[in-house]
Amino acid sequence: MNNNPHALLPLSPATLHILLSLAAEDMHGYGIMQEIARQSQGKYKLGPGTLYDNLQKLIEREWVEELGHRPGDDDPRRRYYRLTSYGRGVLGAETARLADVVREAQMRLQIARPRIVKPRRA
Amino acid sequence: MLRPVYRCILRLHPPGFRKRFEDEILSIFDTTATRPDQLRLLVDGFLSLTRQWMLRSEFWHGAPLRSAQTAPDGIPSFYSFDSFRPRTTAVIHGSVLTLTLFLATCYGIRYSWIHVLHVRIPEAQFPRSEWLPETRSWSSQSSVSSRQASESTAPLSPLSRAPLPLAQVPQRNEIADTARVRQPYREAPYKREQSLSTNKVPGLPAATNAPSPTVEILSESALDAGHRHLVINGAIKHLRQYYVDPAVAGKMAAALRKHEQNGDDDHVSDGENFAGLLTQQMVEVSRDRHLAVVYSQIAIPEQEVGPPAELIARYRTDMERTNCTFETVKVLPNNIGYLKLNSFPDLSICGTNAIAAMTSLNETDAIIFDLRDNHGGVPSMVAFMASYLFEHPTHLDDMYNRAQHSSLQSWTLSPVFGNKLADKPAYVLISHSTFSAAEEFSYDMKMLKRATLVGETTAGGAHMTRPRRIDGHFTIRVPDTTPINPISKTNWEGTGVTPDINVRAADALTVAEKLAVTELQRK
Repeated sequence: MNNNPHALLPLSPATLHILLSLAAEDMHGYGIMQEIARQSQGKYKLGPGTLYDNLQKLIEREWVEELGHRPGDDDPRRRYYRLTSYGRGVLGAETARLADVVREAQMRLQIARPRIVKPRRA
Repeated sequence: MLRPVYRCILRLHPPGFRKRFEDEILSIFDTTATRPDQLRLLVDGFLSLTRQWMLRSEFWHGAPLRSAQTAPDGIPSFYSFDSFRPRTTAVIHGSVLTLTLFLATCYGIRYSWIHVLHVRIPEAQFPRSEWLPETRSWSSQSSVSSRQASESTAPLSPLSRAPLPLAQVPQRNEIADTARVRQPYREAPYKREQSLSTNKVPGLPAATNAPSPTVEILSESALDAGHRHLVINGAIKHLRQYYVDPAVAGKMAAALRKHEQNGDDDHVSDGENFAGLLTQQMVEVSRDRHLAVVYSQIAIPEQEVGPPAELIARYRTDMERTNCTFETVKVLPNNIGYLKLNSFPDLSICGTNAIAAMTSLNETDAIIFDLRDNHGGVPSMVAFMASYLFEHPTHLDDMYNRAQHSSLQSWTLSPVFGNKLADKPAYVLISHSTFSAAEEFSYDMKMLKRATLVGETTAGGAHMTRPRRIDGHFTIRVPDTTPINPISKTNWEGTGVTPDINVRAADALTVAEKLAVTELQRK
């Protein structure tokens, strides 16, 4: 496993959203799908096939760990997932990278902002 | 309605993925209430199905692979430092490229004349029967074992199908009578056959020579002109079909026919003399001393069968009694190893003796192989003995079989574990009597510049033979295989192996010792 989170960046949108969904609390797969839809205000919807394909990858990378079934849940088939400390580090690094991107973008957009020049009359 | 379809799609996923996530994904489908959302999940399921089978090979079998797999005994059997896995297409491309390069390398090594890479590439093997029996044997210097073969079991079948040695092992009394045995090239081979065949073989059980009641015995008076004609025809047929040199085979055939037409054979009425006469007529043309027509009083079965157990047991006994013809193994003054080997016997029977002999000389500073009384044997023992003189597997010869139009490579088995002789000075003593496999050893060492040859030019027999049935009482030993040295691209047939130091055979040991001492002092 690569111990330097920065070497793993940038993350794919699906990975970023899954990590982001799990950042606040442990969730099952359906919860993650709903959370992603909420975060993106319904613009980014992840199907179960894509979700579990990514989850498996993240588990292997040890960014996410599987907690198993939770007693008292409505559906006993659901398994919960948790962000590991390493996954949290990766998410933090990606967030910082995106923040830099945003800051850089804002700065450049400010510099390049066209001035409104009134036409002079001859 | 949509749920069974969705479930079918999930079932079609690779086993690893299905076992792991099927229930969870199905629970999501069950939670989804509206038809459009369920349709969207169906599309997602199809996409997932394609992705898993195309790109996620780790899910194809059972549980998905982990970076560290644990064996049933709890010990990790494999550990990967990275979870990275190459794409399937990359794996396929890599496999094709690897296979192509491997085949190209093998092809290149096989057909290259540059023998830098000492890689042993096995070639199409001849049937064992083509190689072991009678090959390398010097038929005219038959030992008790070989005489038994020809007298008691018919020369064709038993020897030609058995892992029996070609090495002709002199008995104790024969070793003492070396003067008679070692002058083979002054007289025609058939004469030696005759003289030997008239002798009673000591120690041979009477029952072995006595034919069984069912065995057909050819009356000597039965050899009439018609029978002689059939035998000559059979000999010509085998010569044309198998003899290593088709041109020489044609000449021999013509000679046999001419002698027959001239009536040169008419005065011979007994089988043994007739066989000797035909042998003489062939050798006069070819100068090939491996050639021989052999007569057997006992009827030869049409179908070749293996050698009788008795013959094998007797050979084994002979080898045990004669220390596998390792006559002398000793350390001379100045720590020079000396090995007198009188044949190259069957490796499967005498391998232990060979190892013991070479091990006892392992600490010497130089080694002398005395092959002055060595009249042949099996090529595998030649390669085995030569293995002690090299650090790496070394190509000795290509054994070319004309009838099969194929070659069998002979390599040393180097390196020999614990061997210290690979870089020590080596000397090979040779004489006019050195023949066949012993010449192969000498010739190979000379070509590879690994040993200094001391003595006289050898007899000049390179071919390998096997007996072929002519009729119920006659067989012909036709040399069908010839060695081709990879360095000289030829062999010593007819010419013999010339020594580096030409001295009388009787003086060869003294000269070799002096050479070794000089070499050791120089170092």
